[in-house]
Amino acid sequence: MSFEKDLEIAKEKARKVKLFVHDIHGVLTPNVIFCDVEGQRRYSFWHMDGFGDLSLTANGIKIAYLDTTSIDEEGLFRAKELKLDKFYYRVTDKISKLEQLKQEYNLTNEEVGCLGAEITDLKLMKTVGFAVATSDAIDEVKTVAHYITKAPGGRGAMREVCEFILNAIGKWEEWVEKVTKMGYK
Amino acid sequence: MIKEGAEQKAKDIKFVIVDIHGVLTDNTLYYTDDGKKSECFSLHDRLGFKALMACGIKVAFLTSKISRADEQMGKIYGIPQEFLWGSSAKMALLDEKQKELGFTDNDFCYIGDEMIDLGMMKRAKLSVAPSDASPEARSVADIITKAGGGKGVIRELAEFILKAQGKWENFISQIT
Repeated sequence: MSFEKDLEIAKEKARKVKLFVHDIHGVLTPNVIFCDVEGQRRYSFWHMDGFGDLSLTANGIKIAYLDTTSIDEEGLFRAKELKLDKFYYRVTDKISKLEQLKQEYNLTNEEVGCLGAEITDLKLMKTVGFAVATSDAIDEVKTVAHYITKAPGGRGAMREVCEFILNAIGKWEEWVEKVTKMGYK
Repeated sequence: MIKEGAEQKAKDIKFVIVDIHGVLTDNTLYYTDDGKKSECFSLHDRLGFKALMACGIKVAFLTSKISRADEQMGKIYGIPQEFLWGSSAKMALLDEKQKELGFTDNDFCYIGDEMIDLGMMKRAKLSVAPSDASPEARSVADIITKAGGGKGVIRELAEFILKAQGKWENFISQIT
């Protein structure tokens, strides 16, 4: 199945984004868990996805994690590490959480973007103005997406979204200049 | 790859029995410097297990020995403790479980990846192998999933079985 996306339309939509939301597993992680012989659990995250989230916040775009399927507090640790204040843990209804965030920031659907991978993201993908799918998302999610990253979940998808949005609003070059001099944290 | 007749067979499945290593994992073992072993399990499969059980299909692990990691993953996947089956004599244990729980070879689906799984795969109504299973397992399987071991085999199989049984759409509308 091929999923042709119009990049100009995607850029147009990306330009309006003021809040970007995404889940943890399948998006920030490759949707796997490392379990050792004693039952201790580990999760892997992609270093440069943190750069993606932080670069957007540094450029005035808010980030919120809408976690649905955390097993431990893996996503919460990551959010704390990145000093992100909007982390919603084990959300069952992403749409009502979205409504709440929109009210808080006084935003419309067009001003929200999201990165998704699974069936549980479908409604959100159809609701927001700019919907992005990871390269290993299920077909239904890719179908409704305005843009599909080259990277799969947990291996740089969020880093790519960040570059796409900052490019669309014309801030990428300036940002690269800045982080190469001063770092991004 | 889906062999002819697999969809018809899927309609009868009431029980899904899963080999762990190479199916829920990619067969890799990770060791720390002090010798502690870990394995990498798929979380895509969580949705697959949830879907099967929500639609009334029973699920069991069948492996040579249930480790603490397997118990932990059983919890994460939502599989009841009594369905974590460990024995190096898989066929004999299956006979025992069939008597105890009242199901036959015509009711179950088995997913395996290696030569030791062949006996089970031949008995099962529907047999499944991950895309990176051994050639022997792939040659007897009714379905070879697109996913390799540890990359969503059960997620893919659950969708196939539940679509064949006409239960998938209803499940999706429940969870989204």
